[in-house]
Amino acid sequence: MTHVIEQSLLQEKLYRRRIEPGLEVFVLPKKGYRKKYATFSANFGSIDSHFVVEGEGKEIVVPDGVAHFLEHKLFEDETGNVFDKFAVLGASSNAFTNFTNTTYLFSATENFPECLEVLLDFVQTPYFTEESVEKEKGIIEQEIRMYEDNPQWRLFFNLLEALYQEHPVKIDIAGTVESINKIDKDILYKCYRTFYHPSNMVVFVVGDVEPESVLNQVENNLNKYNHQPLGEINRLYPTEPPEIVRDYVEQTLVVSEPLLNLGFKETDVGYDGLPLFKREIATSLMLEAVFGSSSQLYNELYEEGLIDDEFDAGYVAEVGYGHTVIGGETAHPEKLYELLVAGIKRAQEQGIDAQTFEHHKRKMMGEFLKSFNSLEFIANNFPAYHFKNINFFEYLEVMQDIKLEEINVRLQEHLDFKRMACSVIKPLK
Amino acid sequence: MATYHLKRLKNGINVYLHPTKKFKTILVQLIFHRRLDADKVTQSALLPSVLQRGSVNYPTRQKLAKRLEELYGTELMVDVIKKGERQLIVYTLDLVHDQFLPGENSLLRQSLEILNEIITKPLVENNAFKADYVRQEKEQHEKVIRGLINDKIAYSIERCLQEMCANEPFSVFKYGTSEQLAKIDENSLYQFYYQFLQESPTDLHLIGDLAVEETLALVEEIFAYPRAQEEEIPPTLVEKEPEKVRYVQDELDVNQGKLVLGFRTGISYKDKDYLALVMYNGILGGFPHSKLFQNVREKASLAYYAYSRIEKHKGLMVISSGIEVTNYIRTLDIIEKQIEAMAKGDFSEEIFQNTYSGLRNQYLLEEDSPAAFTNRALDDILAGRTWTTQELLQELARVKPEDVVRIAQNVQLDTVYFLTKKGGA
Repeated sequence: MTHVIEQSLLQEKLYRRRIEPGLEVFVLPKKGYRKKYATFSANFGSIDSHFVVEGEGKEIVVPDGVAHFLEHKLFEDETGNVFDKFAVLGASSNAFTNFTNTTYLFSATENFPECLEVLLDFVQTPYFTEESVEKEKGIIEQEIRMYEDNPQWRLFFNLLEALYQEHPVKIDIAGTVESINKIDKDILYKCYRTFYHPSNMVVFVVGDVEPESVLNQVENNLNKYNHQPLGEINRLYPTEPPEIVRDYVEQTLVVSEPLLNLGFKETDVGYDGLPLFKREIATSLMLEAVFGSSSQLYNELYEEGLIDDEFDAGYVAEVGYGHTVIGGETAHPEKLYELLVAGIKRAQEQGIDAQTFEHHKRKMMGEFLKSFNSLEFIANNFPAYHFKNINFFEYLEVMQDIKLEEINVRLQEHLDFKRMACSVIKPLK
Repeated sequence: MATYHLKRLKNGINVYLHPTKKFKTILVQLIFHRRLDADKVTQSALLPSVLQRGSVNYPTRQKLAKRLEELYGTELMVDVIKKGERQLIVYTLDLVHDQFLPGENSLLRQSLEILNEIITKPLVENNAFKADYVRQEKEQHEKVIRGLINDKIAYSIERCLQEMCANEPFSVFKYGTSEQLAKIDENSLYQFYYQFLQESPTDLHLIGDLAVEETLALVEEIFAYPRAQEEEIPPTLVEKEPEKVRYVQDELDVNQGKLVLGFRTGISYKDKDYLALVMYNGILGGFPHSKLFQNVREKASLAYYAYSRIEKHKGLMVISSGIEVTNYIRTLDIIEKQIEAMAKGDFSEEIFQNTYSGLRNQYLLEEDSPAAFTNRALDDILAGRTWTTQELLQELARVKPEDVVRIAQNVQLDTVYFLTKKGGA
């Protein structure tokens, strides 16, 4: 049975069907687009390394980096490389793993039904051998090395390590050279059978397509596999204390300028759905008002030569964790730190006024509408929010409902200096 | 893509209007063309930052930012790009179409007025730019110039091309140099500004759900600033025979080595053989099914990335791969074997077909992105081409394996660059 979700502000219609045993499928028709883009996502990310499946009894702990490793290996099947199957159809395929989920995707202008069939089939058909798992280790090792030389990436993970005591979000998505060397085919199969069950997955299709025929195709495909119901997956995360680990962390790298990130750890965690979505949007609005390019603080820092126009403040809201990251390149990290702290205190004393608030709502509304040009933006974001029980298409309505008082409360509560850490990268002398 | 409406404004700006209903936005790009002249690139790269610092009606960055926020977050951005031996200063406005904003009907007009204000009504004191703004933006620009090293992949490619084209205008870095920057002050930049505005050949692209006559009249009304005789931009040097292969190494404190190979193809975007070169590059290293990805990554597990790409106006090809420094010789050997195989015609019918299909897909996809759309239109203009996507695809379909072999036999390795660990491998 297909449900139609209409979104009047966006002028879009979304089609939804649930296919047994529990796959959620969404189709968003976009007239006039050449591109057809499909994602197949599993609610399985780098933080899911400790779990137990209902009815199976035993708790399982897997090495760091498994979700990402599995993503790499799923592209191989008995006949070889899945990339080739898409290549024959003139489509391009890819995948990505983040903290909370893994997504496989393709984009095509022609042969859409054939491409969709390849996507659905390869994600449902694991094929791991000892040999191919070993071969992948060299490739992933070079991926890890590449990130070791990426200053922004190091800055960010150093910050997470300073903020989090226990939570696996502090560990690099790809794991470490040491942890990936512990991965073997049995571990991959175990994770696959747990997390790649349809009830833990979402298909999202966007482009100039006919929704009913896409939904029927997915349903027919899934029926071939005769999936059995799976007990509930219980993800075990360590208890994360509200306290941070350390308030300052520094590394030297080959960079032209120092880099600084300030992080604030969220303590209001443990829930999903609309309340989480509201908190995310309210916090983002607050950060825009305090640190955005039209704010007093931003302009003072810019004129002092302490920041450049890449300076940014962003908020992440997941069910089990959340944090704000503020910063960028700076010639004088100590001075920037001092002025950011002073600027936050001043903002907390003054509060955010109604006009600033309305301006930022307008700006965020415009930005959201603009991002809807991008089929990738829609299809990559929607499933990630769906896994948090959030309908991403309600963004504009939820934002409209947010009150000035709410963002002022976030300003006081979230930007708490007790939960603040600072990460700095300094140039190697 | 030859689907645009073209109009030359009274002051000589060329307007390219691309009406389409599929986007929720309107994208506007105002593009100033400059020759890649070592003495001037620094000034033209710095100028837009100074202009954005303050104009008569928006004397501070903050006032400008607030105004853009009111317009539902209309973005005003500037990019400096290099296409062949040409520097392009690209102003971009990205705004929501009124039809998604209840009660709005003039967002485009208001946004264009801001853009025109920023470029034509700068804040002037004593016949010069505001000294503070110039000083601060010089500091920011110095960081941009030195910041290349922060991205080791981009840095290694730029270094390879600098070495390779050392005696050609192409080696000029698009942001200029610290030495040139130090010489600029509020007076000299202000003098340069007039020259820049008056002499740079200028294009204006608009893409979105636009009424043709009305929009053309609007831009004629708004962009009416005086201009003078346009500067001639000499064509890019494409054909050059490398004498012998040069080997260059830089040492830095890095975890991963970056291997970059620079080639001369002798073929640029305007040439008849261009699409055969695109096919050659695609088979060699444009896709996951290509030879480089398959042999360097999948078979030998030496790298996470290994690809080739073309600089289409200069006729160069670059291969780039990130490897363990101890694997330099092994990787280079595998890459050279792929180049040799291409020249011998040692590639399958299947890889040829897959590359054709993949490229076809890429060209079609460009029509779904306003920015990719205007970028191709710009390439076409630079090459004096007017072909539709359909015509381009027909040409692509005509490329035969023997054409690819002919290209392969003429592609010449010029420079092998390696960014390695301090102390070497």
